[in-house]
Amino acid sequence: MSKEEKKLNPEDNWRNFIYNPLTSEVLGRTAESWGEYGAGRRLGQTLSDETPKYQDLIASPGLSIIPKPMNALEIFVNISEKTSYEHYVTALGHFLKKYEDSMQEKNIECESGIFFEQKSRSKLACKFSLKILQVCSGLNDSSYGFDEGSPCVILKMNRIIGLKPEGNPSIQCHVKEERVNLVTFPDAGKIDLMYFPYYGKKAHKNYLQPLVALKVNFQPGSEEASIECKVEGSPNLKNQDERDKFLGRIAFKVTLAH
Amino acid sequence: MVGGFSSLLWAGAILCFIAYVIEFTKDNSASMDNLFLGIVLVLVVILTGMFAYYQEAKSTNIIGSISKMIPRKALVIRDGEKKEIPAEELVVGDIVEIKGGDQIPADIRILDSQGCKVDNSSLTGESEPQLRSCHFTHENPLETKNIGFYSTTCLEGTATGMVINTGDRTIIGRIASLASSVGQEKTPIAIEIEHFVHIVAGVAVSIGIVFFIIAICMKYRVLDAVIFLIGIILANVPEGLVAAVTVSLSLTAKRMAKKNCLVKNLEAVETLGSTSIICSDKTGTLTQNRMTVAHLWFDNQIYRADTSEDQKAQSFDQSSATWASLLNIVTLCNRAEFGAGQENVSIMKKIVMGDASETALLKFSEVIMGDVIERRKRNKKVAEIPFNSLNKFQLSIHETDDKRFLLVMKGAPEAILEKCSTIMFNGQEQPLDESAREAFQTAYMLLGGLGERVLGFCHLYLPEDEFPDTYSFDTETMNFPTSDLCFVGLISLIDPPRSNVPDAIIKCRSAGIKVIMVTGDHPITAKAIARSVGIISANSETVEDIAKRLKIPVEQVNKREAKAAVVSGMELKEMSPEQLDELLKNHSEIVFARTSPQQKLIIVEGCQRQDAVVAVTGDGVNDSPALKKANIGIAMGFAGSDAAKIAADMVLLDDNFASIVTGIEEGRLIFDNLKKIIAFTLTKNIAELCPFLIFIIAGVPLPIGTIVILFIDLGTDIIPSIALAYEKAESDIMNRKPRHKKKDRLVNHQLALYSYLHIGILQSVGGFFAYFTAYAVQGFRPDLLLYLRPLWVDDTINDLEDSYGQEWTKYQRNHLEWTGYTAYFVAVMVQQIADVIIRKTRINSIFQQGLFRNKYIWVGIASQIIIAVILSSGFGSVPILSFTTLRVQYWFVAVPYAIVIWLYDEFRKLLIRRYPGSWWDKNMYY
Repeated sequence: MSKEEKKLNPEDNWRNFIYNPLTSEVLGRTAESWGEYGAGRRLGQTLSDETPKYQDLIASPGLSIIPKPMNALEIFVNISEKTSYEHYVTALGHFLKKYEDSMQEKNIECESGIFFEQKSRSKLACKFSLKILQVCSGLNDSSYGFDEGSPCVILKMNRIIGLKPEGNPSIQCHVKEERVNLVTFPDAGKIDLMYFPYYGKKAHKNYLQPLVALKVNFQPGSEEASIECKVEGSPNLKNQDERDKFLGRIAFKVTLAH
Repeated sequence: MVGGFSSLLWAGAILCFIAYVIEFTKDNSASMDNLFLGIVLVLVVILTGMFAYYQEAKSTNIIGSISKMIPRKALVIRDGEKKEIPAEELVVGDIVEIKGGDQIPADIRILDSQGCKVDNSSLTGESEPQLRSCHFTHENPLETKNIGFYSTTCLEGTATGMVINTGDRTIIGRIASLASSVGQEKTPIAIEIEHFVHIVAGVAVSIGIVFFIIAICMKYRVLDAVIFLIGIILANVPEGLVAAVTVSLSLTAKRMAKKNCLVKNLEAVETLGSTSIICSDKTGTLTQNRMTVAHLWFDNQIYRADTSEDQKAQSFDQSSATWASLLNIVTLCNRAEFGAGQENVSIMKKIVMGDASETALLKFSEVIMGDVIERRKRNKKVAEIPFNSLNKFQLSIHETDDKRFLLVMKGAPEAILEKCSTIMFNGQEQPLDESAREAFQTAYMLLGGLGERVLGFCHLYLPEDEFPDTYSFDTETMNFPTSDLCFVGLISLIDPPRSNVPDAIIKCRSAGIKVIMVTGDHPITAKAIARSVGIISANSETVEDIAKRLKIPVEQVNKREAKAAVVSGMELKEMSPEQLDELLKNHSEIVFARTSPQQKLIIVEGCQRQDAVVAVTGDGVNDSPALKKANIGIAMGFAGSDAAKIAADMVLLDDNFASIVTGIEEGRLIFDNLKKIIAFTLTKNIAELCPFLIFIIAGVPLPIGTIVILFIDLGTDIIPSIALAYEKAESDIMNRKPRHKKKDRLVNHQLALYSYLHIGILQSVGGFFAYFTAYAVQGFRPDLLLYLRPLWVDDTINDLEDSYGQEWTKYQRNHLEWTGYTAYFVAVMVQQIADVIIRKTRINSIFQQGLFRNKYIWVGIASQIIIAVILSSGFGSVPILSFTTLRVQYWFVAVPYAIVIWLYDEFRKLLIRRYPGSWWDKNMYY
């Protein structure tokens, strides 16, 4: 729907706006509607509960990581000092809590690889099993790899109502340093299309967006990893915006100390 | 003029730089926004300052040619050789030569003179050319004949003189330095604007500090609190007002220039409007500055002549034979001549060689008879005795058609009458008996009482036998009769009032402006002119008049009964300041006669002690201290000396008093219109301020950015506010009293309250409505926005959830924030359209004033819309300008609020009109 919105011919837009003969609307509203406007009820009337009127400002999703580093997107881990990373672990645990099986009882298994479009008023959510995140799931390692110096971070694409990624989206990460290697879960950072589209907070209550976990493995002697992750493989998910450094991409740093 | 605002803006700029430095030292990649804003503020201060200076300079420049006053070269005799040197190289003791047409290069003592005449009018006010000789005639250097003054002009003849004073030590130099040392009060408009700046600065600083403290208490970072402070200051300072006020004043100055009032300093435009006393010269300002025949007396009857500026014919009864004789004398006994090459110039405008009276008589006879020169040629002049102050007559002898010689004579009436034994009555000579003498005396007194200069005329046909046509007349031995002549008539002359002056005086009176005449003329003449122009109105009397009417001594008259007063310079000299104050207070119609230019200063000071705004006219160098001292000095464009023009605030191009009155009208209008401009400009300050206050208190994302504020103040609002300067008066502004300097303020609390708290709040509501709408339709509902700020501005949060569960990156939020700015901006702009329309009037309905009479308002509204369209259609989408492309709908969000503003103001005006004097009127009329 956001596409339709953008492609409207501006001139038609104008003309119809001033007076629309089909709906006999003047300046975008009917006579009764103007009356309501005068009564100050406009805001409540025009807004739908389910979707905002316009979405042009978030046409493409941003990418963010969990845990959120405190500043300058730098995750600092000192293995010998647990307090230096404890809050990251807590944040991860907190974030992943809603993905636990017990929280997803109402969610259903969906058919992988295709959009899960629904017509009914209340929408069902697809299950995202933590198992997909494997070692970063926290199921076996409650420290998410921080204890042994190969921390996990979780990457997620921002929720946008109605967004349907084209192609086969995935999150790809690269590290500058040669002596650091990255492993993503699921394989190749794949994002399953069945989690789209999103229908909004009200209709799509139990919706959980798909996640990608990234494990940063430092080889002995290496202490720094400058990582950049991008959403790839989908033409309508931008990752190169000049001004928005978080639109479909994120760059961060992990520093390890012993 | 508006220095207070500049200092506030400087403070804002410095705070910006401090904020930037703090941010930069914390984090090298800190945003440049504050630095940028600081630079913009400095630019705004500098540019508006330069703009004001430029406007001021432009209007001052019009008479920039004033330096012509200094004579460039002087012909000096040094080492026995004549040399031409620059005048400033003269030293005391130099011998200089001057000739007709030269300006005298220094104060000189005349050593030798050949018929040298100088024009001292710029110095002493005497318009007659003065003869200079080497005789010492008076102790007073201004009176003695052997001194020539620096910068006066030598009209004819030649002279040699020794330099006795140069430069600043010359008489003129001393007067000029006296003029520059006379303190000048602040102009009323400067005081008003200062008062206004105090109000605005007071509001800005107090709100700024209160909210700074609130911000600190709410645990905002100090840096953030400083940035809020900048925003609050910026929102409160009407950045564009300096430019708008300056432009409005210079527009009015231009309009005044068209009406012959050239204003040298912009602030004087309004000073003229608040004038409550005008001290006017008589000659040339109230009068036409040319002698004109006013009355004639012959056949024992007084006839009135036409004295208007463009007389074509005289309409009095001209059938009498006496008249023919009188006209003959007037024509022949006259040395004045028309200058060559003026065939196509109308008679009244022709240049004449000769003194003022003779010129008047020449033109008079030319108008009646035509071709005076031909008549003179037919009656060849054979002998002549020019007028001198000793015998008080002028005589000439002419050939006539019938071989007899005709002796014609004119002069002081009593001197002429003495030489007569007969008087002409209906063309017949009759003996000059007692009754005839009495009739003469009555007429003479009557005309003299009118302040007119009376001349007597007589003639004698010389008997042919005694004086054959070969007779040789000798004016030395006077070999012809000069007694027992035949008296023909009297003609009285006056410098008549300008025809539009009486109306102008009536206008002044209804406008509550007191007109005081200050002249060097004789009290009788002064009083007569004052009466004829209405300075002394028809039914008011002086103390002397009352004494005469009641036949009691002057001392017994109750001074309070006399509305009018004629005070001579001598009496003025005796008066104490308290007596002068009393005189000025008790009499509404005052004429000062026989005053010296120096006494003008005393009169001006006396008027100023009454808290009056005083306008003074003047032309001589001697007037310059008074011109300087006056609240508005008005120099004469034609007659004025350069020194007077320099000292004055305004130059009257046509020397006409009536032009002053039209100037006053313009001045009053601009005061009203400045009120409207300021009310218009102040209103949106609240709409600019509220976002910051709500932002601090309710923690919503910032509704409007500082740069956007500058675009309103210096962009969309400029032209509409200037357009208000073209607004016509709502009622006859010349029917109300001059504004009281201390009571009628430009910005009173009614104006401030109504603009800030009524319309300003309405506008803010409209703006916020647009802002919340812009956020809501994109997913952020108002309830979510409250206290969202800490998350909203957090750079590390790139997945902020909106009311619908969608997640936003920081940049996407910024974009939305800018959309909010733009929506708010457009909303304010739309409501400012309503604001400019309601500001057209303060009391009348818009429909009474006419929506389309002032076309500039519509130009202003068009400019608002065009600038807003440009900014919100992509051109403003540069990140630093923080505008976004706006949907068409947002333009109409504030329209209902604009309509409400207009209805509300119409309602306000209606109640004011309905219930004058009510609580509403007192509190809602600004």
